[in-house]
Amino acid sequence: MGAVFRVLLYLYPQRHRELLGAEMQAVFEQGAQEHRLLGPSQYLRFVLLEMGGLVLHAAIAQVANATHRGYLENQVHGALAPPQDLPDEVIEAQNRVALNLNQLLFAISHHQFVQARFYSNEERKARENLRQMQEKYGIRGPQPLP
Amino acid sequence: MRHVAERPVIEHPKPLTEPVLLILMSLAAQPRHGYALIKDIEALSRHRVRLSTGTLYGALRRLLDEGWIERFEQEDTSRDKQAYRLTSEGRRQLELELDRFRELSRAGFARLRLGEA
Repeated sequence: MGAVFRVLLYLYPQRHRELLGAEMQAVFEQGAQEHRLLGPSQYLRFVLLEMGGLVLHAAIAQVANATHRGYLENQVHGALAPPQDLPDEVIEAQNRVALNLNQLLFAISHHQFVQARFYSNEERKARENLRQMQEKYGIRGPQPLP
Repeated sequence: MRHVAERPVIEHPKPLTEPVLLILMSLAAQPRHGYALIKDIEALSRHRVRLSTGTLYGALRRLLDEGWIERFEQEDTSRDKQAYRLTSEGRRQLELELDRFRELSRAGFARLRLGEA
């Protein structure tokens, strides 16, 4: 299963993978080892949640990367100033999209379907707001990644 | 002549998401690496919350972005066991959020007492 996880890590942006991929893989392996001992159903549940979570968060990371490129790398390696090339309103709108996606995933993974529906609507609104902000400042949306 | 007292700036922080709050709480006691965070959060939430690897690293990435936590290398650990610790800004944000909870629960209990009276 570790091999599948490793392959799914390729869904993340390259820099994210380089910086955090090995660590994520190690955390998954430790969790898998622990859940294998709890029986097949627990192990299966663990694997499904992990894989589903990985795919969704890879999508979030791709959105963040396409609009916020390089910032993560700077932070992880020790602090450059925040990016100055985007207006605060746009950064706020981007963060709002990522935050709602994150909340949506969390709600789904904890079977909180009322909250999931709420965050799904919020995410849609946040995405529309981001689109308007990008239009207002003449910023292109996420570009295809290399 | 009118003397106008300077009003204190009242911060109204946005509520934190549950994973972010739990990560900050876990790191408030001591630095931890990824798996230790998952286990500690499980214990902290009385086994109600178990973060997946994707959720954990999504939240950690955001916290790194915000400068609320920092990553550092612990001695005698490999690259896949980098540890995380709170920055002073992270600690401040956690205190703000816990203050918000305190205010909220105080208001909640006051309403309950009002209902009982």
